[in-house]
Amino acid sequence: MFKYRAEITKGEEIRYVSHLDYAGIIERAICRAHLPAAYSEGFNPHMKLAFASALAVGVTSDAEYMDFELTKPLCQPEVFDRLRQQLPPGVQLRRLKTFSGKHKALMAEVELARYEIEVPVLGDSAAVQPALDAFNQTPEYVYHRVTPKKTREIEIKQYIASPLQGEVQDGKLRLSLDIVITQSGSIKPGEILAILQKEFSLPVEESQALIYRRALLGSGRPLIDLV
Amino acid sequence: MIKLEPEILQAVEKPARYTGQEWNAVHKDHSQVDCTFALAMPDVYEVGMSNLGLKILYEVLNRREDTVAERVYAPWIDMEQKMRERSLPLFSLESFTEIGKFDFFGFSLQYEMIYSNVLNMLDLAGIPVWARERGEDAPFILGGGPCVYNTEPICDFFDLFIIGEGEEAISELAELFIRWKKEGRPGGRKGFLLRAAQVSGIYVPSLYEPRYDANGMFSGLKVLAEEAKPVIYKRVVQDMDAAVFTEKPVVPYIDIVHNRIMLELFRGCSRGCRFCQAGIAYRPVRERTEKHLRELSRRLVDSTGYNEMSLTSLSSADYSCLGGLVDDLMEDFQDEKVSFSLPSLRIDSFSIDLAHKMQQVRKSGLTFAPEAGTQRLRDVINKGVTEENLLTAVAAAYRQGWKQVKLYFMMGLPTETDEDIIGIARLAKKVVDLYQEIKGRRGVKVTVSVSCFVPKPFTPFQWFGQVPLEEFERRQRLLKENIRDRSIQFHYHDARVSVLEGAISRGDRRLGPVIYQAWKDGAKFDGWTDLFKNEIWLQAFEKCGIDLHFYNERTRSLEEPLPWEHTTPGVTREFLCREYEQALKEQLTPDCRRGKCTGCGICPNLGVKIIDWGEKDV
Repeated sequence: MFKYRAEITKGEEIRYVSHLDYAGIIERAICRAHLPAAYSEGFNPHMKLAFASALAVGVTSDAEYMDFELTKPLCQPEVFDRLRQQLPPGVQLRRLKTFSGKHKALMAEVELARYEIEVPVLGDSAAVQPALDAFNQTPEYVYHRVTPKKTREIEIKQYIASPLQGEVQDGKLRLSLDIVITQSGSIKPGEILAILQKEFSLPVEESQALIYRRALLGSGRPLIDLV
Repeated sequence: MIKLEPEILQAVEKPARYTGQEWNAVHKDHSQVDCTFALAMPDVYEVGMSNLGLKILYEVLNRREDTVAERVYAPWIDMEQKMRERSLPLFSLESFTEIGKFDFFGFSLQYEMIYSNVLNMLDLAGIPVWARERGEDAPFILGGGPCVYNTEPICDFFDLFIIGEGEEAISELAELFIRWKKEGRPGGRKGFLLRAAQVSGIYVPSLYEPRYDANGMFSGLKVLAEEAKPVIYKRVVQDMDAAVFTEKPVVPYIDIVHNRIMLELFRGCSRGCRFCQAGIAYRPVRERTEKHLRELSRRLVDSTGYNEMSLTSLSSADYSCLGGLVDDLMEDFQDEKVSFSLPSLRIDSFSIDLAHKMQQVRKSGLTFAPEAGTQRLRDVINKGVTEENLLTAVAAAYRQGWKQVKLYFMMGLPTETDEDIIGIARLAKKVVDLYQEIKGRRGVKVTVSVSCFVPKPFTPFQWFGQVPLEEFERRQRLLKENIRDRSIQFHYHDARVSVLEGAISRGDRRLGPVIYQAWKDGAKFDGWTDLFKNEIWLQAFEKCGIDLHFYNERTRSLEEPLPWEHTTPGVTREFLCREYEQALKEQLTPDCRRGKCTGCGICPNLGVKIIDWGEKDV
């Protein structure tokens, strides 16, 4: 099998698509491009396609990574061109590399996700910095994640890689945050914003926020540079 | 252009229903075309996007350089609430244009219980719901789809309808509109409608007035303009190979009800089941050639990237070249891992073998529709299937490895007795026992799904009084009591919906105000079990002083004029009467597809003929 790693985007057009549907979009694009994709064996064969980290509904990304396999050794420029032509609005193919040999799974390689949150400030923008400071200074914070099935307690500060940084311009807060991704779990940027709003009096409304994933890193480098 | 703020989209379920931009969606500059269509399904995105008819019309209209067609579906209740809070009008998914700015706003009408959504969408678009209240600037509201064989209950909300197959008529309508527009819109809105009324298959309801006698019985229709035809026959495409088919369907970003390629093998089914409206509405049978279907498949896979294809038709297993087609398609797409499926199976071993071949590995359930529990009743409805046929087919399926069987039945069919109801339970039990007999062990799952029969216009049962609600419920209990085997799962429909459907599907224009009242009082998405509010409908009938039972439970006399007879699929009254009598005599009528003509009148009335490629080969 011949392996490829791609750096692709999830743009504004498909902001509200789920991770599963995003994978379906890529799969159909590979089919349309007539790339000789490799499939798993078994009763219900599916395309060998692996992603680094699931992206939530409502979040765009400048850099998603996926590994896929072809049954023929097509050269990089050909795969790049054929795939690019078949990607729908909202998905751009930025980089593509071939690689061979055993390699850690993408999901195991990713360590850090860099996000930017853009949200209108409601009321006094002087209240923004104190809220961020308070959050940054808190040694730990236990968040109760409620899902339809159960409630989990998660200490979130372990997932915050560096102090939050915010900047207010034209009534909008731009918040940068680096989130640690581990095999056993992580926290979503939306969850952090909700905590900031409810527990640290950040003067914003979470539902008005736009969240962008800016980078996915492993060993401090973009995942595509690891192959 | 409508802009949706993130706080709206982030507050609703499945926001990608409203954001468009899908693969193969067509974007045109409205200032560069002469005619704009908004094509709607009055149901949620996932349902609307799955409709083949709308896909075809979208492609037909967008292939015209002078016309654009865009899509719009009913916003789900959470989105509707946001839109109403912020006075956001209904918009199209391509250019986010307000629907009120289109030249035409067309609705696909698939079933009666979705009518309240039509009114709701008109209202959301800021368009007066009553046709007579619309001004010169309003879009023309167009209806089409299977419900046009009785438009009367909703016709006061529409400006015009296409009766029958729309792919040719809708293009003619666009041309007619452009000509009228370029001439300076002579006669205004009414002027266009008078011209449209002369196009074959177009019905303009405002040009007709129903008459009722002293007892409130419908006595006929008065034609108000000389441009209007007394009878509007359905449109039929004669050559299916030449007809435009959807080759570049819009591929959704999110999962939808039928998220796969739909390859339409043929139209029509002349098996002649007497309860079935589609069987009459889509006659005669017209097949595509195998060669053409193979070409279409290639183009569809290439344009969508789907790896699943459904071979659709009313009774796909009847396609004359099916065996060969399936072999060829499986070979053509072997490397691309495309899988194929048949939406319905005939009750015979040919179908089982084929299903086995198509789903080599995954043995999901098989579905059969015996429709009735006893041979006597199956003969009444002309379902030419015996118990032996069913058991043979099921046995073949078990031997091939299936262990899930779904059986569809109807309840409340004409002449039905308790014996027939218990017959459903008995038949299901036999299907269960057969598994033990063949496999020597238990472990089969049989699902019995029973719907409540709704008599439909233009069927031999159109005169028949529907079973009352309490009686439906008694029969459901009776059946439940008689199903004792734990391997059998019993599903049945909410009879309250079926009796309402029974009233509306054979209603007349006097039901318009009832539908309006129900919508005013909050009825919407009535086809969705959790949103259906029976009380609203019952009260709407009461408020309007209309007796529900006059429409659903009353058996009509064969001489009575029927309020839907002017928009016709072309079948003769004599044929339907004859079939009604044959039904009561438990006599079968054969399929005319390869046998002799049974005289339904459709071919001569419409000047079309059966196209079946099987005949030619033999």
